[in-house]
Amino acid sequence: MSVLQIPKTAPFGDEEIDLLNRVVGPASETQRAWLAGFLAGVEASTGNTVQPSAPPVAAEPLTIVYATESGNSERLANDLAKSARKNGLKPTAIDLADLELDSLSKTKRLVVIAATWGEGEPPSRAAAKYKELMQSSDFGHLDGVEFGVLALGDTAYAEFCAVGKQIDERLAALGGKRVVDRVDCDLDFEAPAADWIGRAVKVLAPPEADRGKVIPVEFGKAGAAKTEIVEAEIIELINLNSSRSDKETVHLALRFDGAMPPYEPGDSLDLYAENDPAEVDELLAAVGLAADKALRDELIKSRDIHTLSIKNFDAYAALAGHDYMAELIEKGGARTWIEGRQLVDLVTHFPIILSAEQLRAVTRPLAPRAYSIASSRRENEDEVHLLISAVRYETHGRARKGVASNYTAGRRKRGDKVRVKLRANKHFRLPRADHDVIMVGPGTGVAPFRAFVQERRAAGAKGRNWLFFGDRNFTHDFLYQLEWQDALKDGALARMDLAFSRDQSRKIYVQDRIWERRADLIEWLDGGANFYVCGDAKAMAKDVRAALVRAYADVKSLSADAAEAAVAQLERDKRYLQDTY
Amino acid sequence: MSDRQLSAMEKLKARSRYLRGDLAEDMVDPLTGSVSEDSTQLLKFHGMYLQDDRDLRPERMKKKLEKAFGFMIRIRLPGGVITPRQWLALDEIARLYAGGTLRLTTRQTFQMHGVLKFNVKTALKAIDAVALDTIAACGDDTRGVMAVSNPHQSAVHAEAFDLAQRTSLHLKPRSRAYYEIFLDGDKVAGEGERDDVEPIYGKTYMPRKFKIGFAVPPSNDIDVFSQDLGFIAIVGKDGVIAGWNVAIGGGMGMTHGEPETYPRIADVIGFCLPQDVIAVAEAVVTIQRDWGDRTNRKHARLKYTLDDRGADAFRAEIAVRAGKPLEEARPYIFTSNGDRYGWTEGEDGKHHLTLFIENGRLRDSPDGRRLLTGMRHIAEAHDGEIRLTPNQNVIVANVTKNDRDKIEKIVAEHGMAGRASGLRRNSIACVALPTCGLALAESERYLPQLIDALDERLAAHGLSEDDIVIRMTGCPNGCARPYLAEIALVGKGPGRYNLYLGAAFDGSRMNKLYAEDLDHDGIVATLDPIFAAYAKERESDERFGDFAIRAGFVVKTINGLDFHADTGARRTA
Ligand code: SRM
Ligand SMILES: Cc1cc2nc3c(=O)[nH]c(=O)nc-3n(C[C@H](O)[C@H](O)[C@H](O)COP(=O)(O)OP(=O)(O)OC[C@H]3O[C@@H](n4cnc5c(N)ncnc54)[C@H](O)[C@@H]3O)c2cc1C
Ligand SMILES: Cc1cc2nc3c(=O)[nH]c(=O)nc-3n(C[C@H](O)[C@H](O)[C@H](O)COP(=O)(O)O)c2cc1C
Ligand code: SF4
Repeated sequence: MSVLQIPKTAPFGDEEIDLLNRVVGPASETQRAWLAGFLAGVEASTGNTVQPSAPPVAAEPLTIVYATESGNSERLANDLAKSARKNGLKPTAIDLADLELDSLSKTKRLVVIAATWGEGEPPSRAAAKYKELMQSSDFGHLDGVEFGVLALGDTAYAEFCAVGKQIDERLAALGGKRVVDRVDCDLDFEAPAADWIGRAVKVLAPPEADRGKVIPVEFGKAGAAKTEIVEAEIIELINLNSSRSDKETVHLALRFDGAMPPYEPGDSLDLYAENDPAEVDELLAAVGLAADKALRDELIKSRDIHTLSIKNFDAYAALAGHDYMAELIEKGGARTWIEGRQLVDLVTHFPIILSAEQLRAVTRPLAPRAYSIASSRRENEDEVHLLISAVRYETHGRARKGVASNYTAGRRKRGDKVRVKLRANKHFRLPRADHDVIMVGPGTGVAPFRAFVQERRAAGAKGRNWLFFGDRNFTHDFLYQLEWQDALKDGALARMDLAFSRDQSRKIYVQDRIWERRADLIEWLDGGANFYVCGDAKAMAKDVRAALVRAYADVKSLSADAAEAAVAQLERDKRYLQDTY
Repeated sequence: MSDRQLSAMEKLKARSRYLRGDLAEDMVDPLTGSVSEDSTQLLKFHGMYLQDDRDLRPERMKKKLEKAFGFMIRIRLPGGVITPRQWLALDEIARLYAGGTLRLTTRQTFQMHGVLKFNVKTALKAIDAVALDTIAACGDDTRGVMAVSNPHQSAVHAEAFDLAQRTSLHLKPRSRAYYEIFLDGDKVAGEGERDDVEPIYGKTYMPRKFKIGFAVPPSNDIDVFSQDLGFIAIVGKDGVIAGWNVAIGGGMGMTHGEPETYPRIADVIGFCLPQDVIAVAEAVVTIQRDWGDRTNRKHARLKYTLDDRGADAFRAEIAVRAGKPLEEARPYIFTSNGDRYGWTEGEDGKHHLTLFIENGRLRDSPDGRRLLTGMRHIAEAHDGEIRLTPNQNVIVANVTKNDRDKIEKIVAEHGMAGRASGLRRNSIACVALPTCGLALAESERYLPQLIDALDERLAAHGLSEDDIVIRMTGCPNGCARPYLAEIALVGKGPGRYNLYLGAAFDGSRMNKLYAEDLDHDGIVATLDPIFAAYAKERESDERFGDFAIRAGFVVKTINGLDFHADTGARRTA
């Protein structure tokens, strides 16, 4: 084809036009497509919406909806968006929490990446929209909408990937056309997810031919900052509970000489722990592999030797050929049998000799555990503090010890190294410096708020800080007591309310204090305060929310529904934020 | 001169608005289990001490925790008599808020330890609900009035007890602060500003604590000579109380290395009629209120005022303030300051069971002795009364003949009546560690083991059944009245004690320092040869304390002013 010439009428000086001709003229089709994209991108990224002189054929739109709590689904959504763009699609990734459901019926292509939380519940932020999606259908039908669902979950939970599964069914029921089958990912989701994304993009992307003449070029920041696993030295490891307490909560200070992840208050660290060698030995002995040192090492470092799920129960049953196990599976009794049990119960109840391969097959990779960062970089340059509660309990007559918490609390000491990775949480951030914040963090839930308070103190933030904390006993479990006393003196904390459940015959919890303080609390919220909740997801987070709804109803004499709506509004405005687990 | 300055405590009392200060605010501050220094001092007048668990001190700071603060609550119980219903209330408070233990004190009352600040009001309300309080159980006032405990001579003891109660009531502070702050009582408008709230004390109360006790010979269980003001019953041939001898100036406290501080036994300065007792008591109290040294708390007890002014000055002033002079003191005879254990039958045919409670500590211990539960069951089964003795023991009093077996059974079932040697039966120890802020050494937690070791030596010399009075304190303040014990061990430092010998068995003579800074082995090694000598050389029913002097081990102490003279071992074996 003839060499392209920039017309003299172009808004350039003569020698500029010569220069351009020398580059653009001989440029290949791909180079020109790239340039087009580049220039369009420049405009887009600078906010202008001026169309490039050679308007590209519009790429096919793709809607990517994600439901996330700790960010995995969101990250995958961004990965998907990238590769979709490269394949001629025009993706928009959006949090289910922010999705206008009516827009669904207008989309042609839809991908949902959803995580399951709690006991088979949706991520808290998306809860309301999820309910709407599942129950109402005012947003019209999805006839012909091509869709696919990727589910994130954890086989350790009975309700494995429940949310992904239900969304998948629902979209089909609404008339959607499933063009790629759902995949349910366990904690080691990276590989299966990447594979699924590849296939999804392939089926959803338009054929090469009718692709636009623009190669999208990304500008500005990518989605979630991808950070790497780094080693950190433990420079402090203190059990903050008194020696009279039946709990153990360690304050861990990590030093990173240089390599410290660029964290913000609200972020967490993923900790890569190791199994208790004693437990590994017991397991190996039970299946006749005590001699295999290499395997022992591998299990300690990288396999989950605790989790017992239907998945590995079935796998083991197949190997064991044990009648009773077969019967359990038959009659569906397996679900109840595995409750509160672990792999070790399985191998000791139904002993068989296993090969290293077979044992590996009934374990999954050991997943990291997340811990809220309890420090601010402004106060601790090269350090990260974590607050880790040792998980110890007994089920089926066996003492159980949580992997990561006991690895740190029990088997690490000052000077040891641990492997960690930043797990950013941009949905749990401080507001503007002049806004007030209310923080509810009983137990280890107080960790991120220690970071908040340090940050606001160092930044000299004008906004007031109000902390609700609780635990078992005032005398033995008041985590960071001396620091909070100082914070109240130096003004970093404006108020602190405490709830110690076991100091008196009647149990008192943070939600009770919230109720007692309701008048002031609502006043703060009306004044624009943010409300943060961190800690136990099972009971506390729900009870706290319920208490706040009751507080609204009582203080503003609203109906239960109106009060509920008030809190829901706070959530929509991202002023009611939680990080619960 | 600066040394004539009023002590800081005096200024605090004066500005406290009758013991209010900032207590109300301090008690509700949620971030700390403690209260301000001033409030800590004022709390004492309301019967409480802010303490902390000293066992936990080393770890607290490191764990970013403040000290393990807890309140010690002391009941005001004149004469040491309590009803079963009241007992059950205290038992429940102890189990809910005070670590499941009750502590009987050397002044016939109860202490609870480690009560969390936020539970104090709840506890005091429960105490109030059974018509008890803690007013003036500590502090610069007339605290815990004692009365002979053994109700054997029923009529006479009843009268002594009645006097103890009336005296306590008469001298009880009138300020309503206690009710306002701890019982949510109505604020008494402007009381803090008035001048006439405390007719007897005035705004600054006493210069120091003031202690009163009523003894009925032959029992000197209350150690009448250790009281600031003691009354000794003089019983006529008709068995009726003719009146009371008056003794003033007793006190045990001293400070190591400060000879100007010393324990002292009271001087008997006269006699008064029963109907004049309260007038005399008020006279002595107000004289000490006006004459006592308010510039130096270590010289503020009546015993020092007495040595400074002389007995005659007191006699003269009492005559003025009480409206009539004291008569000549009358003769009396004490035989011991200990308790008689087991069952006794009163003149009124009622039965009384005296139980040995080692160091007054009531708790259920792993070794099977379930004293707290046992006493609870006794209180449930019993409809008489329960008495506390000055030796930290319990008397289940006024039991009807047919109820004896019922009580016996409970005692047996809870391992409350273990055999104890003559030494152990006559032992008392103060609380000391971990709660007492002044303790220099262990006491209550250590004496039992020491006695195990000493019992072994005594057995070797055939002295297991001999009554020998031994008392231990964790510091020289003398809470277990050690200077009136035949053998006394007074804490000097961790694991180290000063050994005193030679007090009279009836509590009428103090002992003398024999050896210093002994550790466990040192104590046993030092006493063993003296036990041996006692076994060999003693005259028929010669008491160990008297023997120690006659046999030349220590010099006899006359009174406070020569307590620190001629100390040390005059003989070693
Ligand atoms: C509980 C008790 C000892 C016991 O094991 O039973 C006791 C315990 C304490 N005494 Fe005492 N005293 C107790 C009878 C005595 C006695 C014996 C008596 O009164 O018959 C004395 C010697 C007599 C006297 O007062 O001289 C006694 C002389 C002291 C002193 C020294 C007073 C002085 O002026 O020399 C102190 C320290 C002080 O007041 O500065 C003291 C201070 C204390 C304190 C409150 C420590 C403090 O001030 O911080 C102790 C609390 C320890 C704890 O953790 O419970 N306690 N204290 C007795 C409670 C009696 C009651 O129910 O009121
Ligand atoms: C975003 C985020 C932030 C977090 N921040 C913190 C923090 O700051 N501090 C902190 O301590 N933890 C925090 N956690 C929790 C933490 O990640 C771990 O889940 C926790 O430490 C347990 O890990 P583990 O390996 O010790 O126990 P695991 O080996 O994972 O065992 C835990 C499992 O044991 C079972 N279990 C636990 N208790 C019982 C019981 N009583 N009865 C029966 N089964 C039981 C449950 O199945 C539970 O899932 C956070 C979690 C998330 C997701
Ligand atoms: C407290 C908690 C509860 C969870 N509950 C479930 C569950 O019930 N079912 C399930 O399949 N996965 C469950 N998971 C696993 C998460 O779904 C999994 O970690 C997922 O990768 C999180 O994705 P996200 O980062 O997008 O939220 C749970 C995880 C946590 C920390
Ligand atoms: S004697 Fe000393 S150590 Fe013992 S209780 Fe009294 S003050 Fe405390």
